[in-house]
Amino acid sequence: MRLEGRSLFPWIAGAAILCSIGWALNRGQLPPADFTFVNGTEVKSLDPAIVTGQPENRMINALFEGLTSWNPETLVPEPGVAERWDVSDDLLTYTFHLRKDAKWSDGSPVTAHDFIYSMRRFLDPRTAAEYSYQAWYVKNAKKYSGGGRAVRPGDNVEVELNVDPDGVNSIRGKLVRGKLVSIEDKAGKELTDDNLIRAAADAALNIEDWTFVIATEAGEERFRNADDASAASNEPAEGERFARQILLDLHDVGMRVVDDHTIEFQLENPTPYFLTLLGFYPLFPVQQKCVETFGSPQWTDVENIVCNGPFKPEFRRLRDRTRVVKNEHYWNRDNVKLNSVDFLAVESSTTALNLYLTGEVDWIYDVPAAALRTLLAEQPPRDDINPVPLLNTYFYLLNVTRKPFDDVRVRKALSMAIDREELTEEFLGAGEIPTYSLVPPGLPGYAPPQCPQENVVEARRLLAEAGFPGGRGFPTLEILYNTHEQHQSIAQLIRDQWRNNLGVKVRTRNEEWATFNSSQRQLNFDVSRRGWIGDYADPNTFLDMFVSGGENNCTGWGDAEYDKLIAAAAVEPDPAKRLDLLHQAETILMDEQPIIPFYNYVSKNMVKPNIRGFYNNIQDTHPLSALWIDAEEETPNPFMEGRE
Amino acid sequence: MINFIGKRLFWLLITMWAVFTVSFILMRSVPGGPFDREKAVAPEIKRNLERRYNLDKPVLVQYGLELQRVFLHGDLGHCMNIADASVNYVIRQGLPISAALGILAMTFAVSFGVLTGVVAAAMRGSPLDIGLRLAATAGIALPNFVVAGICILLFVFWIPLLPAAGWGSLSQLVLPAFCLGAPYAAEVARITRTSMLDALSHDYIRTARAKGVSRTRVVLVHGLRNSLLPVVSFLGPAVAGILTGSLIVEQIFGIPGLGVYFVKSALQRDYTLSMGVVLLYTLVLYTMNFLVDLSYAYLDPRVELE
Repeated sequence: MRLEGRSLFPWIAGAAILCSIGWALNRGQLPPADFTFVNGTEVKSLDPAIVTGQPENRMINALFEGLTSWNPETLVPEPGVAERWDVSDDLLTYTFHLRKDAKWSDGSPVTAHDFIYSMRRFLDPRTAAEYSYQAWYVKNAKKYSGGGRAVRPGDNVEVELNVDPDGVNSIRGKLVRGKLVSIEDKAGKELTDDNLIRAAADAALNIEDWTFVIATEAGEERFRNADDASAASNEPAEGERFARQILLDLHDVGMRVVDDHTIEFQLENPTPYFLTLLGFYPLFPVQQKCVETFGSPQWTDVENIVCNGPFKPEFRRLRDRTRVVKNEHYWNRDNVKLNSVDFLAVESSTTALNLYLTGEVDWIYDVPAAALRTLLAEQPPRDDINPVPLLNTYFYLLNVTRKPFDDVRVRKALSMAIDREELTEEFLGAGEIPTYSLVPPGLPGYAPPQCPQENVVEARRLLAEAGFPGGRGFPTLEILYNTHEQHQSIAQLIRDQWRNNLGVKVRTRNEEWATFNSSQRQLNFDVSRRGWIGDYADPNTFLDMFVSGGENNCTGWGDAEYDKLIAAAAVEPDPAKRLDLLHQAETILMDEQPIIPFYNYVSKNMVKPNIRGFYNNIQDTHPLSALWIDAEEETPNPFMEGRE
Repeated sequence: MINFIGKRLFWLLITMWAVFTVSFILMRSVPGGPFDREKAVAPEIKRNLERRYNLDKPVLVQYGLELQRVFLHGDLGHCMNIADASVNYVIRQGLPISAALGILAMTFAVSFGVLTGVVAAAMRGSPLDIGLRLAATAGIALPNFVVAGICILLFVFWIPLLPAAGWGSLSQLVLPAFCLGAPYAAEVARITRTSMLDALSHDYIRTARAKGVSRTRVVLVHGLRNSLLPVVSFLGPAVAGILTGSLIVEQIFGIPGLGVYFVKSALQRDYTLSMGVVLLYTLVLYTMNFLVDLSYAYLDPRVELE
C-alpha cells in the first residue's frame, strides 16, 4: 500500500506538468491583429461613464463615439454622431442635429434619447462617475449630480423610489415629482440657509439622516433615503416613505430631446470648449436597452456590450490582451482602415520597449527615461520617435499654511534658486521644456505670464529679507513625492540646489500613491510634487484649480482677486476678453507663487514607420480610427515632422 | 489519518479567519482609501462609491458583512479597481496561468536542482562540484530581475531565439519558467548536496558498498531516497509561493498571472482584491504544508501522522 502510494508520485508530477503545458497553450496562437499596441494597465471598465485614465481613454475612444469627435491632428471638434450644430448668439444654447445613419453595433439607430439617457446616467450620483464634473457646464447639471445634498427648499425635485434589491441594478425606480418644502436633520430640526449649506458641504454627512418634506400630487409627504436592501427589510418610520434617492427634477437640467434626431443643451455659462468636451470619452453615449437588460457592470462583458464607435470588442483577457474589430454598423466604416486592433495590457515600460524593439507591437506610448536618451542619440536618427511638448506641467506645491512658506519672499526665493536647465537638459534629456508658468505654452491666443527666472543672488537677498540670511534659522524643509524613480531623482536634485544656493536644510520624503494623495489633500507636507494634465485645451483647466478652497488646490493659498478673475472669465462670452481675464489671474498666481513650475512633459511615443494617420499633438491623443498602414512607406510620415 | 485531516481542516479555518482579521485591520488602518484620487471626487459621488462596497458603514458592521460574504458564500466581492470584474473572476483568470508557469518552473527547479545536487555530492571536491556550487550561490544571490534582464539580452536581442514577453506559446514559456525556477533550482541543489553528503556518510552506505553494490546504485537508490526529506520540506512553502505567481517575473515578461495583484492591490487600497489574494495564498500555503506532511509518511515509513 505504502509502496503504491510512493510510486504514484512520478505519475502525478508528470500529469501536472502535461496539464500545465496544455493550459499554457490552450489559448492558442491567434492570427495577429492589423495593429497591436501597448495600452498600459488593464482598463478599469468599458463603461465610458465611470472611467478616468489614459488607457481607458484609448479604449473607450475606439468603442464609442460622442456628439463631436476630435480631429486626429489638430484635436478640433468635428462632427461625430451629430452632423451639425447651431449655437445661439449668447453662446448658451447648443442644438445638435444627429446624423440619421448613426447606428449601435446591434444595428439599431443612435437617437437623441440615447444621449439624454446617457447624460442623465452619467450625472446620476448612483452611477458614481468620478468625472461627472466634465458635464457640469450644462445648466443645473452640477446640482443634479449632487443628489440630496444639492437640492434646496423651493426646488423642483424628483424622488426615485426603491426597487427590488435583487432586480437588475441599472433600472431606475419609479419617480415621484414634487416641490421641496424643507429638509430636516437627524434631530428633526429644519435646516435653513447657512445651516443647510454647511451641513450639505460636510463630506461625512449621512444623507440617510435627513428627512425631505416634499409637496407632491398626494400632498405634503416625508421622504428618507434608504438603500434598496434596507428599504425592503425595514418599515419606514411613521408618516415617512423610503426613497432610493432625491434629486433635482431632471426637467430643470439644461438638456432636452427636441425630436428623435435633435438635442438641445442649455449651458450655465458660455463655455468655449463645450464642443471639445462632447468629444471627450466620459460624455459618450451608452445604449439604454443593453445597460438595463444586463445590469451594471455585466453589460460591459464582451458578449453583452453594445457600442456605437468605429470598433467593437471581440475578446478581453484580463491584464493580457483585448482585441477589438471593426464595427460593421459604424456610420463612417468606410474610412476605418484597420480591421482589428489588439490592446496589450503591459504595465512595465521596459517590457513594452522590448516588445516594440522585437517587432511585436506597432506603438508604445512610453519609453523608460534611460533608454529614451540612447534612442534619441542614435545615429542616423531613428525614424520612429519624435517627442513633442504636451499639455502637462510638472510643479511643486508649497504649503502656505505652514511657516515660513506663508511669506511670499520665501516662496519666490525657493523658485529663483532652482536651475531648471540643469533639470531638463542634463537630467531628463527627452527635450522637456523648462517652464516658468503653470499653463503650458502652445494654447492658441494665450501667452502664459512668467514667474521670475533663476537668480540666486536675488533669491538669497529675498531669503535674508524674510529673516533667514544665508539660510540661518530656516526650519528643515521637506520635499514630499510619490514613490517613483524619476520623482526621487528630481527631488534629490532640487534638494541639492536649494542646499547649495540658499544654505537651507532640505530632506526628502517619499510615500506610495494612495498615502501621498491623502497627505497632499490634508496639507500634510512642506513642499510636494505634483503633475497636472490638462483635461481640455484651455488655460482654465489649470487655473481654476487654485481658486480659494478648490478641491485640487492643495496649497492652502487663496486670493480674492484671483477668484474674482476666474469667476469673471467663466461667464465672459468674448473669447479674447476671457483669455485676458485668465491671463490676469495667472499673473497673480505667478506673482504669489504658491507653486513652483519646473517643466512641461513631452510625449514619448514610438510608432512603426509604416503607420500613417498618427500625429503628434499637445494632448497625446491618437484615435485608432484614423490609423492606416502604408506598407511600402510611400507617403510622408507626419509623425516625424519637425525632428531633425 | 481521518483524525489528522479533520484536525488540520479545523486549524485551516482558524488560520483563514485570523489572516482575514489581521488583513482587514491592516488594510483599513493605512492612510488613504480605495477612492482617494489625485483629483478630488465630489462628496456625493465618493459616498456612492463607498456605499457600493459598504465602506460607508461602521467598521465593525463592514467586518461582519465581509466575513459572512467570504466564509459563508465563498464570494470575495467585487474588485474596487477593475470595476468590471469580481475578485473570484480575477482569480479564476489569473491563477491557472500563474500555476501553469509555476509548475513548469518547479519541474525545472526540482529536476535540475536534484540532478546537480547529486552530481556535486557524488563528486565532492572536484572542479565540477566547485563550479556547480558557485552557480548555485549565484542563483540564490542574483535577484529575479537581474537574471531576467540578462536572459532577455542574451536570448531575445543578441541571439534572437525567444520572444520578449507574452503568454500563449511554448517559446514564450521558456524564459519566464527559467527565471522563475532558477533561484529555487539553486536552493534545491544546495539542499540536495548537503543532505546527500550526510546520507552518504552513514554506515549503511558503507555496508552496501562492501556488499558490492555499484556506486551509481548506492548514490541513486540508497543515498537519494534518504536525502530527499529536506528537499520535500523546502518544496512545500516554495510551491505555494511559486503557484500564486511572482510579481517580478510576471511584470517583466508581461504574463497575466496573479503575482502582480499581491503588491498592486495593496498599493491601490483595493480592499477586496487584496483580501482575496491574501486568503488565496493562505489557502495554498496551508494546503502545500499539509501535503508535505502527508508525503513524509509515504517517504519515511518511520513518520506517523497524528
